Amino acid sequence: MTSLAMQRRRATAGRVLGQFRSSKQGVIGFSVLLVFVVIALAAPLLADVRELNPVYARASGNPQWASPGEFGALGTDHLRRSVWVQFVWGSRVSLFVGLAATILTISIGSVVGIVSGFVGGRPDAFLMRITEWFLVIPFLPLAIVLASILGRNVWNIILVIGVTSWPSTARLLRAQVLTVKQRLFVDRARSLGAGNGHLVARHILPNVSGLILANATLAVPISILTETTLSFLGLGDPSSPSWGKTLEEAFVNGAMVRNAWWYFLPAGLGILIVVLAFTLIGRTLEEIADPRLGRSR
Amino acid sequence: MNRPVLSVKDLAITYHSASGPVPAVRGVTFDLAAGDSLGLAGESGCGKSTLANALLRLLPDGTITSGQVMIDGRDLFALSPGGLRAVRWTTGAIVFQGALHALNPVQTAGKQVREPMLIHQTVGSEDEARVRSRQLFERVGLPANQLDAYPHQLSGGQRQRVLIAMALACDPRLLIADEPTTALDLMVQAQVLALIAELRRESSLSLIFITHDLSVLTYVADRLAIMYAGKIVESGPSLSVFENATHPYTRALAAAFPTIGDQTSRLAPSGLAGDPPTPGALPAGCPFHPRCPLAEDRCQTAEPVLRKAGQAHRAACVLV
Amino acid sequence: MLASEQPESRGRSHFILKKVLGSLLTLVFVLVFNFVLFRIVQSDPIGSLFRGRNVPAAKIAELRTAFGLDESLWVQFWAYVRQTFQLNFGISYQSRQPVWNEIVSAIPATVALVGISAVLSAVIGTIGGVIAAWRRNTWKDHAITSGTMVFYSMPDFWLGMILLVGFAVVLGWFPVGGMTDAGSTATGLALLLDRLHHIFLPALTLTLAYLGEYALVTRSSLLDVMGEDYLTVAKAKGLRDVVVRNRHAVPNALLPVVTLTAINFGFVLSGAIAVEAVFSWPGLGKATADAIRGPDLPMLQGLFLLFSAAVIFFNLLADVAYAWLDPRVERA
Repeated sequence: MTSLAMQRRRATAGRVLGQFRSSKQGVIGFSVLLVFVVIALAAPLLADVRELNPVYARASGNPQWASPGEFGALGTDHLRRSVWVQFVWGSRVSLFVGLAATILTISIGSVVGIVSGFVGGRPDAFLMRITEWFLVIPFLPLAIVLASILGRNVWNIILVIGVTSWPSTARLLRAQVLTVKQRLFVDRARSLGAGNGHLVARHILPNVSGLILANATLAVPISILTETTLSFLGLGDPSSPSWGKTLEEAFVNGAMVRNAWWYFLPAGLGILIVVLAFTLIGRTLEEIADPRLGRSR
Repeated sequence: MNRPVLSVKDLAITYHSASGPVPAVRGVTFDLAAGDSLGLAGESGCGKSTLANALLRLLPDGTITSGQVMIDGRDLFALSPGGLRAVRWTTGAIVFQGALHALNPVQTAGKQVREPMLIHQTVGSEDEARVRSRQLFERVGLPANQLDAYPHQLSGGQRQRVLIAMALACDPRLLIADEPTTALDLMVQAQVLALIAELRRESSLSLIFITHDLSVLTYVADRLAIMYAGKIVESGPSLSVFENATHPYTRALAAAFPTIGDQTSRLAPSGLAGDPPTPGALPAGCPFHPRCPLAEDRCQTAEPVLRKAGQAHRAACVLV
Repeated sequence: MLASEQPESRGRSHFILKKVLGSLLTLVFVLVFNFVLFRIVQSDPIGSLFRGRNVPAAKIAELRTAFGLDESLWVQFWAYVRQTFQLNFGISYQSRQPVWNEIVSAIPATVALVGISAVLSAVIGTIGGVIAAWRRNTWKDHAITSGTMVFYSMPDFWLGMILLVGFAVVLGWFPVGGMTDAGSTATGLALLLDRLHHIFLPALTLTLAYLGEYALVTRSSLLDVMGEDYLTVAKAKGLRDVVVRNRHAVPNALLPVVTLTAINFGFVLSGAIAVEAVFSWPGLGKATADAIRGPDLPMLQGLFLLFSAAVIFFNLLADVAYAWLDPRVERA
């Protein structure tokens, strides 16, 4: 890469960063998310993972259904486990599944969208027909069916979310690639003898990367909420409990009738705050990628 | 002539924007007598469309206006909201640039033409409105069956005629035509111009015709006013201004348009380098001096005022 | 007059015919997809049914034959298509009743709950979005926008759990679940009131969960429209602000909202799964949640097919509504 292109890219990155910093919602979203990322990464320091084991919890003499005043910061559940420990370790699983599923979603969506938009013709028609079908199939039932068939573990959940939620990304990217393709400089580059790989890498990708990033950020909330719902319905991985799994266990074991609010409030609030943070960041990135949005929204 | 239909005195309009105030119109004064027509010309961004919208107080919230606009003897800026609504369309109506988005896409042309009559109760009933809209369509040269057409089913010229019919719905005394021929084919432009000229001959309609195309104006306007950077820089009888242009800017404009509606010359007037100044950052002195072929040192310090340059002909240039 | 109307109606009916054919094709795709999903991806349904449990081989073989899983793939596919059109979705593993009967008995509860919530959320959300856009950057806009965003960002069933604990467990204003009081023999008006009492909290949950999307879409759509010239024209005509908004701005801004509404009507049928589970509402959602626990695959398969058909149908309805509302559609 020439130093000129490098400079230009660095300048673009600097501009995006500057615009992001000047957006209040972007900064708030990012700060909040940072707190949760730190909690998730520092989980081993914050909470003893052995506390998740009911046998260990019983052996340590924890009380059952203790409210926050009676035991620790967030009380205990029906199996005497600390809710705080579940919250900290649950953040790890929820964030990991959310991010991993989003990466898969965006990868499938981007490949389909870029290939469809760039190649055009029959492959485009074929891919878009498939995309439309996947858009029409109800997303949650499909995820439920797939998860039921594949079995309950984290990787299957990631796979299920990725396989079910890529179509909207594919459509968005295809439209963007078509616009970029029509711009003059692609024709110019082609006439100079550039290969397809070069065109995609040097001309298409840099022009759609902002959109991909914004779209990815906005897809994380959907991934996290889907994981939560699947876990709540009993399709979560029993060996790595997420926030959704906590909500399921609280529900199944009668936390609501007992008014054991400390059992199900923290996990739900965690989901709500993380989802809001990603939404705020995503909207900011979207406005930067497409300045037209900033005026009205 | 008695009382003028429109009297504008020292009108200044400043938009509010994120990067500070933007003075779009900076002190404009003119009168328009009943039956007269005034052509306003200038490049885009010179404030002519802002001026047109101001004549019916159609500016966005937060816009600061000063000066006075008397429309049919009423002080526009002193009107109550209800009084203002009553003046709109009955006293003065606007023909917007219709080729794009001036018609509501989900309503038929006829419904949109009937709407002002029903609002201002210039007709007694829905049926009467239908009869009148049919007459109006006939007058602007549209077949009656197009009353039931949706805007997208009409051609650009037909849409423009619908807009003219709509403007005439309540028999206004003043017609403000804001670039009504822009973006139309050459042939259609000529037809629309002929229609406007004909309507003027038939009635005592006063007309303000706004365009960037000077040659169009000699066809429909008795008097011309050339705007630059929010001010009138030259005004007078059409032929006098067109043939004996005094202001270097008017000369450049006049030289730029050899034929009606030449689209290529629109963006790059010959002999006129550079872009019009942005209203937010006007140069000191005469705002035209950076582009003026005859600029002198004194042009950079003082902004010239309008001075007599012939019979009823005035120009704002130190060389006059 | 006829001259201008005829090509228009021909354009529209052509458009609708195209959409109907597209929907049928999608339905075929769903049928095939459904078959592939349940018969090929999952090559041994009975085996995975008892995965991890100690079941005698003879018992498994017996079940395989009972469920017709010994035949070749093509025979199975043909049988599957034939049975589907006869509304025969097999026998539920759990209840041992025909899947179709189970589904049919759950439909009314879901249609009532989802219907009420879908209508309420669409109406309230749209009105909220109109107010937010028309008064943008005022406190009303900020309150509506941030409020709906919060509801939009939480799991719907978690909202249901909170409402249930607050209003049913703690305050005791509403029943904790079900559709009627246990052992109730009420009829007529008393029965209706009892049902309304039961449906209130789940309906409130779903309404709050869904109205955010309507508000946000309406708001941004109206903001797009608000820059249009025809609104300046309407104002210039001497129309009141409210009339400009309701007669010229809103009808144009609602076009995308209509599509969203119709599509959501298809999706909410399946979207209430977790909320129905929370409130023990005896509809399709709870049936799905129960089937997952099995897993009761014939039941899941039948439900999936029904949910997909509902979405396809409402998508078609959305296209037809759009063609009816937007005169420009014939060009699309």
